[in-house]
Amino acid sequence: MKNPPSNTTGCRKSRFYYGLVIIAVLYLAALLADFLSPYDYREQSRQQPSAPGSPARFHDADGNFSLRPVVYGTRLTDPVAQEYSVDESNAAPIQFFVHGFSYTFLGVIPADIHLFGVSGKSPNAPRIQLLGTDALGRDRFSRLLHGARFSLLVSPVGTILAAIIGILIGITSGYLGRAVDSILMGITDAMISLPTLILILAARAAFPLELPPVTAAGLLIGLFALTGWAEIARLARGQVRSIRDREFVIAATATGVRPGRILFRHILPNISSPLITQVMLMLPGFLLAETSLSFLGIGLQEPEASLGNLLTGAADPTQLRQHPVLLLSPAVVIFLFALGSRLMSDGFGTKQECYRKFQ
Amino acid sequence: MLKLLLRKLIQGVMMILIVSAVTFGLLSSAGGDAFTSLRDNPQVSAETVENLRRVYGLDRPVVTRYGIWLWNTVRGEMGESFYFRTPVRGLVFSRFASTFSVSLGAILIAMAIAAMLGILSARFKWKWLSRLIMSLILLTSSTPRIVLALFGLALLARSDDLSAFFVAAIVLAVPVIAIILAQFHEGLGHAMNEDFVQLARAKGLSERIVILRHALRAALNPVLTVLGLSFGGLLGGSVLVETILGRSGIGSLMVASVRNRDIPLIMGIVLIASAAVWLANTLAEFLQMVNDKRLHSLETT
Repeated sequence: MKNPPSNTTGCRKSRFYYGLVIIAVLYLAALLADFLSPYDYREQSRQQPSAPGSPARFHDADGNFSLRPVVYGTRLTDPVAQEYSVDESNAAPIQFFVHGFSYTFLGVIPADIHLFGVSGKSPNAPRIQLLGTDALGRDRFSRLLHGARFSLLVSPVGTILAAIIGILIGITSGYLGRAVDSILMGITDAMISLPTLILILAARAAFPLELPPVTAAGLLIGLFALTGWAEIARLARGQVRSIRDREFVIAATATGVRPGRILFRHILPNISSPLITQVMLMLPGFLLAETSLSFLGIGLQEPEASLGNLLTGAADPTQLRQHPVLLLSPAVVIFLFALGSRLMSDGFGTKQECYRKFQ
Repeated sequence: MLKLLLRKLIQGVMMILIVSAVTFGLLSSAGGDAFTSLRDNPQVSAETVENLRRVYGLDRPVVTRYGIWLWNTVRGEMGESFYFRTPVRGLVFSRFASTFSVSLGAILIAMAIAAMLGILSARFKWKWLSRLIMSLILLTSSTPRIVLALFGLALLARSDDLSAFFVAAIVLAVPVIAIILAQFHEGLGHAMNEDFVQLARAKGLSERIVILRHALRAALNPVLTVLGLSFGGLLGGSVLVETILGRSGIGSLMVASVRNRDIPLIMGIVLIASAAVWLANTLAEFLQMVNDKRLHSLETT
């Protein structure tokens, strides 16, 4: 094949690895959230509401060059317009592996070491706030890491649940055919076309608006699983139908293998790669559903952090125009996650195709 | 044709019945109603709450209430919103009109961009354009509306109605561009190698006519399908876009009704949203049959 026609997608294996790297970095940051964040994400520093990112420079107070970056303190000069000025006299070097608030590493090992921070216990010591603070003076960088941790953990759980429901419905429908097929696929088609977010919101109204974090996470996962299974069900059904009459299935049937075993041991392994591709495509959709609900104040609630409720601060136009980069940082994480999953899905799909082509 | 219409009608009625029954059941089973929060108010006695519930018929069993709701809805009465104190029907229809116009704008924008790029790529077969389309699909499909709407808000210098309308339409359009463009690009690419296109070329038709009259019509049907399916996504997307950009519409009304646990209003919105989605899909299917006569004969045999 010298000149592949322009309309074929070609073999874009590399896309899978690009996507994998993006997703892996995001998950690493989310899992190490406590270690990477210099402050407790719930800790408020009321003297510094809506502060911009801490100024860090490579010279100390006397103007001498130092290889170790130095953070300067800031002072709130105008509480109304929330303007800050740099306090040149109050400086502290950035240090690595400092002792800070205590946490349990990966939920097991108690620790208080943080990747970076500013040592000094005095209340006026300069703080290192890479992305500034929110309206309550909480460190936005720490909140971003913890928000990403919640959102990135909820969405795969919901996705996997929905995929299990969808695949079960799809393969049952495809294998049994006839009346079961038309009823199940009628429901599936309706589910695909329905406005999912509106249905999720309607179902959400059945539960109290204020929920503790664990209940909220469980509820969100349940709602996503119940509304998100339709597309993969359709795919699974089509795939099952396409190989249902192949020789190896007929042979298995002829030797008296039970239908359940045929489905799970003979058919499912053969249709797994398009299903995996679809699961990767579903991931960002679930992240977005969680983000949207938390953004609207009916998902995970303050003071807990999720990518969604972090974005609530960005919905204020005057604030947004003042610090667009700081406020949109959760949006960037969402975008990267969506891009990463999409690349992985594209690459995984074509990887299988490439493999078949050269077989 | 009539048979198909009848089948779609039955499907639509079934879908709306099931969706409304499930929503109604969920809303009335768990977690209380619009008066639950009154119970925590020390100035309101338990009897007052019970009286209020009786006035609004909330003390009767769920099935009865659903029956009453259904009967009233069929007669065109969707009750009164607990929170806004106005008839649900007027509220829902006026807000839906605003969301619908933005969604229509979004579909037109997405169609225009996708059709233009798809046709250009089929006509000239520039390699860079094909690459551009591929990366555009990747980019637009992975940029969520919530992110876009916030960027739109940051860029929206003047907040007059017209510019807000366009920003909302563009934000809604972007994810739709990805799916339509993918269909157009692939569909036209395939159609250009088909026999009937070769025949049209052999007849001596200009490349322009070949694409616009022959290849495009063949590529149009899958586009119509995904367009019909994307309408539900547009309605869902309007929840975020309207909330962020501060426009009134069905999405922002939904958020308000969920926050106030305004059950009649939630039911009204769910009803009109499912009906609109069903209508969009039926329309898409109808247009496909107009475009492709073969579907017509398939249905009747």
